[in-house]
Amino acid sequence: MMYEHFDNTVKGIKDKLNQDPEGINARKKYVLELSRLGRKLYSKNETIAWCGVTAPFDLLSSMGVTSCFVEFVGAMLASTQTAGFFFEDAEDAGFATDSCAYHRAVMGAVLKNAMPEPDFIIGTSSPCTAGLAVMENFANQYKKDFFILNVPQNYSKDAIKFLSSQIEELTHFISAHTKKPLSKEKLGLALENFNHSSQLLKDIYKLAMTKPSPVDNRLLRDFGVVMTLLMGTKEGVDICQAFKDELNQRIETGRHHASKEKTRLIWIQNRIQYPFPLDKMLDDMGAKIVIDELNTVTWEPMDPDNPFESIAKRMISIPFSMDTSQRIKNMQNLAKDYQIDGAINPCHWGCRQGTGARGLISKGLRDIDVPVLNLEIDCVDSRNLAKGQIETRVEAFMEMLS
Amino acid sequence: MKKKIGFTCAYTPVPLIEAAGFSPYRIFPETKAPDQAGHLLHDNLCPHVKKVLDRALENDLPELEGMVFINSCDTMRRLADAWQVARPDDKIILIDLPSEMNSLSLDFLSKEYERLSRTLFKWNDETLEPEIISQKIKEKISQWNLLADSIKKIEEKMTQNFFPGYASSLQQIINTAATQSIDEALAMAKSKIEPENPCKSLTAPIFVFGNLLFDPKVYDLFEEWNVQVAGTDFCTSSRFVTQVEQGPDNNIFRSLADSYLKQTPCARTMDTTMPGSIAQRIVERAKQTNAKGVIGFTLKFCDPYLARIPMIRQALQKESIPFLMLEGDCTTGSMGQQQTRIEAFTEMLEV
Repeated sequence: MMYEHFDNTVKGIKDKLNQDPEGINARKKYVLELSRLGRKLYSKNETIAWCGVTAPFDLLSSMGVTSCFVEFVGAMLASTQTAGFFFEDAEDAGFATDSCAYHRAVMGAVLKNAMPEPDFIIGTSSPCTAGLAVMENFANQYKKDFFILNVPQNYSKDAIKFLSSQIEELTHFISAHTKKPLSKEKLGLALENFNHSSQLLKDIYKLAMTKPSPVDNRLLRDFGVVMTLLMGTKEGVDICQAFKDELNQRIETGRHHASKEKTRLIWIQNRIQYPFPLDKMLDDMGAKIVIDELNTVTWEPMDPDNPFESIAKRMISIPFSMDTSQRIKNMQNLAKDYQIDGAINPCHWGCRQGTGARGLISKGLRDIDVPVLNLEIDCVDSRNLAKGQIETRVEAFMEMLS
Repeated sequence: MKKKIGFTCAYTPVPLIEAAGFSPYRIFPETKAPDQAGHLLHDNLCPHVKKVLDRALENDLPELEGMVFINSCDTMRRLADAWQVARPDDKIILIDLPSEMNSLSLDFLSKEYERLSRTLFKWNDETLEPEIISQKIKEKISQWNLLADSIKKIEEKMTQNFFPGYASSLQQIINTAATQSIDEALAMAKSKIEPENPCKSLTAPIFVFGNLLFDPKVYDLFEEWNVQVAGTDFCTSSRFVTQVEQGPDNNIFRSLADSYLKQTPCARTMDTTMPGSIAQRIVERAKQTNAKGVIGFTLKFCDPYLARIPMIRQALQKESIPFLMLEGDCTTGSMGQQQTRIEAFTEMLEV
């Protein structure tokens, strides 16, 4: 079922691309590559690794492993409105409704045999404890080898050494499964692509800062998190280039989004994954999400001569790996750089990692006079969605900002 | 009177606190302070952390010289974050705790424990030669190991026979080690090692596991409800008093890391060579303690345990060991409901 879904998406976009190569926008190219990745994951011909969110996907792709973080699948199930079937299976098996729905959805999919069987599993302690727990459940369920990358919270010499040694050990673990040694040349190329993509991301985010911003409420949604799946590849570079070109063109032609930009917003953590017309509602009110919290480059360029340490530093630098005061500092900087009027924090039910810091984040942004709307919502499980209530709160917040 | 160092997690080595000249003070989530933690963090967090933070916000704490936090789970990380806002003048240290037990993790944790020791001595303005520090830590570890021995003996007796009040006494000893001193706990253990009450027969030996069950009165209530606690696995029970084995290289921090990381682990610590091993461990413990049933008692919103309950349930089912799962919130508010469920469970076991 999932293979067909991805295959149809790939074929549909390719057809359009063949008919009108210039008419296809960056977002479509991005969806095309993600669908290709999805198709590979479900094709049964690849070496597959299910991973935690902060796994080094550039390293994995350089070693011939098709990999993805499981929350991506949770989000996809929600966006295609199929997650409901899987929640029931997970809950019947005893997974608590208090837990994160990204993880409940994929656990249900595992129990229903709707996930591709991996060759091995790589858990990461960042961003969250629940994510690592779900990886252990995967390993237990599939009876596959399991590797953990412990991402320390302290950015110290010892911490970096600890993580870089683990990454080096990970390459041996992968080689033992693929029967292929790490190719320094391939890794070097992946890091080169990663660096190129990182520079393009910086350019994209800089363009998004323009006032009025060339982005719209959908263009860069969840972009920073998901792009990591592609950043070590040539395709990743092409996508970033396409986004940069599109933003430049929007600025040159004055084609900013149809809505007038009255209010500039920052979106904290991830977006709501199931169809919910919040973007449209914000459009109608002249409010624009100009920055998602995780659309930021927090790392230095990768050093091909010192790959494991570079990757380790990058993993620790991600806002979710750090303590909340660092994360808030990052948000405050974004709020200033993007000249933000307000913030929306969808406090994803069941997320102790991100939502757990709700009060601290509100305080941190209030300290720089950025009001925050905390939406109590499950971003993946729509069964208890109080749509009217959310809409009323968004309306009231926008009125207050204007 | 010695100055106190606060802590909240069972992976905190108490011998290091005492060696630096402090008294340990484990902050239990027991307070009449109003619920305020949700404003600083979120309401959907484990009540352990919320109540500890409520105590901090309401100043329902003894005077503390500093706080030791362990990066054991998301909620503990958030507690460390919130503490800096709630009590900005407190000295705090956050120790990173790896999630698995391989040699890299052990090396790293030993460095983290060394950092903790250095920090504690610094907080106490102690500038001693490394050999003297090492000697002090070794002395405290020896006492700690004596305590661990006594606790093990008490647990063995508990497994063999039912002595009313014995489980509650054991919890008092462990709480004394957590909140007063190893010495006092050791003295208490010596006086309580022989059961005060004669052995009594009950028909439902039960193995109880979960994250936090620190109130000795709860064990008395269990007995009133016809539960014979034959064994426990909580981060506030004997798991907290980890025997520290001295390694061959004489590195005390490595010995501590080895012992704490390889101890009966919290659900957040994994053995990657045996994913899901927590389920097998609970089955084995239930069998070792001759338990007729298992009660899981976890706090709401505790991700590490909630994520493992399905595999534990499945493993117990496979062995035909009855299982009752209870969720708590660190208050006695739901005790009536728990009583009904526990009594029904033990009645079922007696049939």
